[in-house]
Amino acid sequence: MKRVLRRSTLIFIFTLAFIGGMGYLTFQLIMNADDWVDQPYNAHISGSGGLAQAGAIYDRNGEVLAQTVDGERVYNENASVRKSLLHVVGDNSLNISTAAQSMYRSQLSGYNLFWGLNMPQSLRSSNDLKLTVDAKACAAAYDVLSSYDKKGACVIYNYKTGEIICSVSTKGYDPQAPPEITEENESEYEGVYLDNVLSSSYTPGSIFKIVTAAAAIENIPDIYDRTWDCAGSEEIGGSDITCVEPHGTINFKEAMAHSCNIVFAELAVELGADVMNETAEKIGINMSFEVDGVKTAKGHYDVSKANTNQLAWSGVGQYNDEVNPMQMAIICGAIANGGKATNPTLVEDGAASILSAIGINKSGNGREMFSKDTAAQLDEIMRYTITDYYGDDLFGGLTVCAKTGTGEVGDDKEPNGWMVGYSKDEDCPLAFACVVEDSGFGFTYAGPVVQAAMIQAAKSLGASAVTG
Amino acid sequence: MFDLSVIFDIGVVALRIILPVYALIIVYQCYAAMRRHRRGEKPLVTLYNPTTGLKLPVLFWENSIGRSKSSDVVVDDPAVSRNHCVLLRRKDGWFVTDTGSKSGTFVNGKRIHGRTQVLIDDVITVGNSEFEFKRGAEYDEQLKSSWFFSKVSNKPAIKSWKLMLLVTVFHFFMCVEAMFWNDATNQYAPLVLFGALAAVEWGFFFVSTVVLKRINFELEALALFLTGIGVMLLIRQNEKSAYTQLIAAAIGMVLFCVIIKIIEDPDKVNKLRIPMMIVAVLLLLSSIVLGKITYGAANWIVIGPVSIQPSELVKIIYIFIGASALDKLQTNKNLFEFIIFSAVCVGLLALMGDFGTALIFFMTFLIIAFMRSGDFKTIILAVAAAVFGVTFILQFKPYIADRFKVWGHAWQYAQAEGYQQTHVLTFLASGGLFGVGIGNGFLKQVGASESDLVFGIVAEEMGVIVAITIAIAVGALVIYARAITTRSRSTFYSISACCAAGLLVVQLSLNIFGATDILPLTGVTFPFISAGGSSIMACWGLIAFIKAADERTYAVKR
Repeated sequence: MKRVLRRSTLIFIFTLAFIGGMGYLTFQLIMNADDWVDQPYNAHISGSGGLAQAGAIYDRNGEVLAQTVDGERVYNENASVRKSLLHVVGDNSLNISTAAQSMYRSQLSGYNLFWGLNMPQSLRSSNDLKLTVDAKACAAAYDVLSSYDKKGACVIYNYKTGEIICSVSTKGYDPQAPPEITEENESEYEGVYLDNVLSSSYTPGSIFKIVTAAAAIENIPDIYDRTWDCAGSEEIGGSDITCVEPHGTINFKEAMAHSCNIVFAELAVELGADVMNETAEKIGINMSFEVDGVKTAKGHYDVSKANTNQLAWSGVGQYNDEVNPMQMAIICGAIANGGKATNPTLVEDGAASILSAIGINKSGNGREMFSKDTAAQLDEIMRYTITDYYGDDLFGGLTVCAKTGTGEVGDDKEPNGWMVGYSKDEDCPLAFACVVEDSGFGFTYAGPVVQAAMIQAAKSLGASAVTG
Repeated sequence: MFDLSVIFDIGVVALRIILPVYALIIVYQCYAAMRRHRRGEKPLVTLYNPTTGLKLPVLFWENSIGRSKSSDVVVDDPAVSRNHCVLLRRKDGWFVTDTGSKSGTFVNGKRIHGRTQVLIDDVITVGNSEFEFKRGAEYDEQLKSSWFFSKVSNKPAIKSWKLMLLVTVFHFFMCVEAMFWNDATNQYAPLVLFGALAAVEWGFFFVSTVVLKRINFELEALALFLTGIGVMLLIRQNEKSAYTQLIAAAIGMVLFCVIIKIIEDPDKVNKLRIPMMIVAVLLLLSSIVLGKITYGAANWIVIGPVSIQPSELVKIIYIFIGASALDKLQTNKNLFEFIIFSAVCVGLLALMGDFGTALIFFMTFLIIAFMRSGDFKTIILAVAAAVFGVTFILQFKPYIADRFKVWGHAWQYAQAEGYQQTHVLTFLASGGLFGVGIGNGFLKQVGASESDLVFGIVAEEMGVIVAITIAIAVGALVIYARAITTRSRSTFYSISACCAAGLLVVQLSLNIFGATDILPLTGVTFPFISAGGSSIMACWGLIAFIKAADERTYAVKR
């Protein structure tokens, strides 16, 4: 009997494994309960009454973006605000998976692991959510962007704190009166549930010259001493690289300001595929960034299989280059920040704002994209682009550095018009990126969107340049 | 004006909060009753050595005597063999059997052959040592008891009928919750089911205490508690199967009593071994030949209106055979016959595609093999053979590996193979600590949720606390089974009880961790809770072994 007792220890080991497993399960439950609950098929919070118990969503100034009144979800009374924030706030259908109403559904409904979702409606408490966006800036961007009736995106974020001030994606619709999407109007609403700021990537065109310029600054010591002759077209690697107009004899800074393709194509070829790939990798073109747990669409740069002509085109943001709007804003923010990227966020975090008020920047732990020196030089040539070429009065007195781009996409479509950059003002540290698909010159199309949004955003931040 | 519906809602929530606390109390009471002291820690008999004046306590119903340190009665005498003889107690007294010792065993000076009775004051001689066979009361030192059992002086255990009342009221609360579900249709159906359930519970209690005159009822009360939860949960999922489940559970209770009766005499158990083996193989073969393929496994046979899963019933026979092969304590170390039988069973189950049950059998095999031989080499060899076998199968049938590809990656396959696991996790978390209320869950809409995913249903509708409580209630049977090991009337009972409890824990783990993507989903049932007639019968059959291991089961009737 003693032997049997001793040997029965083996089943104790099985039982210990079982208890260990239960402990692991409990641990997993505590860590992940929110994610587990937030599933589209979870009938406890979705379906008919999905948002009937949800709390309100506010913008940074406390303006109500969405709230539940008598069991009905009501969105902001201003139609432009409603439509501009469709992809940030979401609608009743929860089809926009990256929107706050989808992402934070369980929190909005008052979910916690303790009570689960078991509360009868009369006893259920809900949580409110405060976003970092500014309703007016978004509406301003949307009004201009939607006037083109094209797909596009505009994002502005504070590169010091990471707060996203403006995030607008078109096409959109009114969340208060969502359209019934049928087979006939399907094409009109194609991709409407996608937040283009986070989830789309586009051919960058000339804005990619920032990357090529960074590679040149770091690898060609005499870059500022050189000059080039631009005749409007030049054969590189068997085919022509073309410019919009002949730029004549220009130096590096002028080439950036006037966006000379030939100069940057030559630079890309001179630097070679390896250096270009390396620089793109360091800046994070091929990676996705996280915005409150949502991964942005990855950009794309890979010239390891490109021929000379393709390598040349890749240097001016053509070939198979792609970038994401949020990503471009982060890159511009990194330049403004002395090379270090700041992770963006859409949700106002009480703790973070207190920390940043006393000088600790929680979101400042992004990746190092440029060396301090490179960032300073890029800053100078992007600043020059505005002062020399576009004029400095565009942004109501803000000190802006920027680059435009016109990404050719071929087929029968017009190019992607881009504008990316940032304001250097101490009280208005904003980085922006705007793209309009199927449009034309970046400055013509993206420019006005950025202008409207930046001025409004600067006003909301109380920047002295626009208020004074 | 005050809203009356708020008061009603508060009532509903209060009931949901009470149930987990109540479940904890019931499980605690069941185990507290099991821990209650049965007899004083006096030896059953004492061996008195008049030469040295040494008194050796004989504690168990079966005791090995020998020089080996692991013997129950250690005789430090070089003339005594390591395993010299066995002293055992049966209905008609004490017996001694020589187990192949070199110098032989003598009773009153006569060398014994076969089983020989010893009476009080007889003299047993092993080697150069002589022992007078004395009553237990002659031993005057205090003996230590297993930690599991509480102190003798403690207040008496909860009365069986009170425990039963607690269990029934718990099921009644579940019934009330189910009546006031969100759907608000068919409101009184749970009441009818509860009536039937209460009748079965108290009927079984009556048979056990009045007809069979058993003194204790804790184990049965615990099993009834779990069975009732399974039955009541089904009312809002599939009313018909709730009644099927109840009927099957009642048959299981009969099976429970029958098995206890069959194994009443440990000496006769051995004779049943071969016929039982044949029955087991025939049952498994029948499901291969007549089997209906459900969810990829051909483990059902349909006879008229009844469909049964023979592999469930074979579990009982398997443990019976595994434990019964010990003719004489520690002498029969030959596992050969059992290994062949196990290989046949596991092989047939694998042929059926029922890998979950095959795995349960294999784990049970490890437990039985180790408890019989105490040999780690056997275990390692068996595991190695199994790994080799599995690799071999995967080589020829790579599609089987596909079934396990989602393991650990359920969220990546949320709409495909990981559908069940992700739904379990979502609804498990949705229930919170107290659940959404019986009938208000959504996991029940997922296929096979009433059996394979029932842990999720319990967690969603009754809360995580109840789910974990019932899991631990089943798991703790191991501790109980082990604690009564030394109180059993024979090693057959000890081993079968430990193995039955071990099997239940293995099955429990595969069910819970399979459904929650910690282990691959193999589709085995949650003991006592999962819907499935054969499964619930098998569970009741298995705990018969644990019940039989308690010496009071066959002892003096009240």
